[in-house]
Amino acid sequence: MVQSAVKTLMNEPPTESAPATPAPADLGSEEFSRLYAENSRAIYYLALRYLSDPQKAEDATHDVFLKAFRKLDQFRGEASFRTWLYRIAINHCQNLRQAWHDRHVFSNADEALWENAAAQTDSPLRILEIKELGERIQQALDGLSDEYRLLLLLVADEELTYEQVGALVGQSPDAVRGKLHRARKAFAVLFNQNA
Amino acid sequence: MKHQSKLSQEQQQARQAGAEHQAQSQATPEFAHAEELLRYDAKQTPVPAAIAQRLQKSTADLPAPKSPWWKRWLGGTPR
Repeated sequence: MVQSAVKTLMNEPPTESAPATPAPADLGSEEFSRLYAENSRAIYYLALRYLSDPQKAEDATHDVFLKAFRKLDQFRGEASFRTWLYRIAINHCQNLRQAWHDRHVFSNADEALWENAAAQTDSPLRILEIKELGERIQQALDGLSDEYRLLLLLVADEELTYEQVGALVGQSPDAVRGKLHRARKAFAVLFNQNA
Repeated sequence: MKHQSKLSQEQQQARQAGAEHQAQSQATPEFAHAEELLRYDAKQTPVPAAIAQRLQKSTADLPAPKSPWWKRWLGGTPR
């Protein structure tokens, strides 16, 4: 069913990953620099795949962390810092999508990202493969509803439990499980259409 | 004799096919669910260094962030 539906052919096993986010020398405090290093990949990836535009994702990630920097004293510690950041990021990205929903024009989403990534990869073949995979993932996500797209992106973060995902999207954990099942199926169909 | 050599040829082909299949399955990541694929994609996606640079400029003129009240009180660190 969904198993084996989502397959991708690549010439190398998934052992390597992009370099860890370098901690900036000084982001106002040592603590905030560490929090950025630990969470920026998760927030950037959510913004990238949710907004479907690398430049907007870059802007959004910057804005989310700046907001967090300004409001750090309001972080109550009831949730994890990442969950708190996700809440800021989801609100920010949803506002952005709402703003250009009606006047949405096609953007060649991944082009800028792959141009940036080119300098950090070893072989042209690998660049081509990563590019193809990213494009297929983005096309499949773009075909989903906002709700399913967000759900899949949040569940993909291993640090979040279904309870935490549910709290972020305003659903019960059971509802998350049910919708996740349907979102997986829809994603698999769209992903394989682009094969 | 001829039968034996044909058999060994078939065995050789079967072994070769098996080895190729094994090599292919080792090199072909399979993802049971969408979120596994997204997890893999996220690990391959670098965060542009420009974000940290911009953030550094944006925060340069701001006062250092105050730790949350509970952290000041308990001495803990947000995770």
